[in-house]
Amino acid sequence: MMLSLIICVTAVLLELGAVVLLLRKNLWREYSFFFAYAVWLLIANTAILVTDLYFRPAYTSVYWYIDSVDIALRLLVVLEVFRQIFPKGSGLNRTLSKGLQSVAFGLLALACAIFWGYQRYPGLPIDFAERVRALHLALDRSFGFVQALMILGTLIVARYYGLRFGRNIRGIALGFGAWASISTADNALVAMANVSSSLRSFFSYMRPLSFVFMLVVWIWALWVYEPNPRIVESEPVGLNQWTEEWNRTLSAARTIIRP
Amino acid sequence: MESHAFSREDNHTTMINLILFAILGLALFGSFVFIALQGSPKSLPDSSAVRAVTAIINLEGSSFANARRLLDDTDYQVLSSNPDLRRLAERLRNDRRQLALTWISLLQGDLINLWRFRRFLIQQGVPSSVKEELGTLQALVLSLVLLNVLRVSIRTVGPFALPRATRQAGQLVDSMSKGAALVLGRIPVAGWAEIERSWVKSAA
Repeated sequence: MMLSLIICVTAVLLELGAVVLLLRKNLWREYSFFFAYAVWLLIANTAILVTDLYFRPAYTSVYWYIDSVDIALRLLVVLEVFRQIFPKGSGLNRTLSKGLQSVAFGLLALACAIFWGYQRYPGLPIDFAERVRALHLALDRSFGFVQALMILGTLIVARYYGLRFGRNIRGIALGFGAWASISTADNALVAMANVSSSLRSFFSYMRPLSFVFMLVVWIWALWVYEPNPRIVESEPVGLNQWTEEWNRTLSAARTIIRP
Repeated sequence: MESHAFSREDNHTTMINLILFAILGLALFGSFVFIALQGSPKSLPDSSAVRAVTAIINLEGSSFANARRLLDDTDYQVLSSNPDLRRLAERLRNDRRQLALTWISLLQGDLINLWRFRRFLIQQGVPSSVKEELGTLQALVLSLVLLNVLRVSIRTVGPFALPRATRQAGQLVDSMSKGAALVLGRIPVAGWAEIERSWVKSAA
């Protein structure tokens, strides 16, 4: 109980620190989606803390409602990472945005399908509070997994094209991705009925502790203004032809596989 | 009784689902840690970047003359048919094997250099599509896999054991050489210089 309170207060203080950093260094203009999410986190976790301290009976429902909204708003971080790594108007954005958007929609549909499947599961707890908890965990698990995949996919594609990351986006992306992954795994472990009570209590602290760690990483990332290096592009004179010829060369390679 | 069995089956499904999520979550976490430990990605070019540009002008594997002849076993058959020249035939076979392996290595190097250069071009803003990119990657992987299979077969059973496949590999070299030469010949000198400048600059 005491540890939970300490974690909650630390999280609020770190969120406040992140928001102040974004404002003082004027980063909020450049990372506006991320700033919006940081402000949301500060408001939401303060509300949870106040409810925990002064309106204890309403705590559970307030916590679940806020966390459910948070699941959707986390997409702001994913969007921020994507738009910073593949800025609008860049060739890479033109090339990849449609395809990656389709993949993102596919992943969101997958998360919805997983959650829908779980919702129809006949073995859900009958008790209302337990049922809400189980459903929330399923929602968090499915979307957390998909969001971690989106961040990982963006980072992998960026690495594939040899893009350099600035400290700001690198920290935001890695911190968020690592937390979303731990949250997914931890959430699943907590939900397993056969986990012993001591392990269960360990797992129940792992998620908030990793969240605090993510906030520390974010503050480290935002401490110095270091955006992603600008992508310098060449004039695409005659390079379309190169691409065509490259494809022709590769089609020759295909003949060896399908003679 | 039936309902009990149904419930147990459901429990199993849920447990498998949860275990899967736990494993996937941990695997994702591992991937993020791996990326974090690797540091910021180097831009495509490294110390060999300038060499790669030069290699694109004159691809070593593609410029290998008479690659088909290298894999042709006619000379070997002629020498082997004479008992006095069998030792010479063996030497020829070993030399050809070494040459064929070198040629395959060069060809693999060419493919990788071209692929690296393509990634560089896309990074520079050359329009493409995800489908095309995946197609390129697929073709590269398949070509490399096939060349590796050929390499293993040459290493184990010699250069003349798979005459059809090696002949097709020879055709591949021909077509790739022509294709690559055509590609490079069509890049405007001004555009190429700009790309080279950017490539060298990003390596710095």
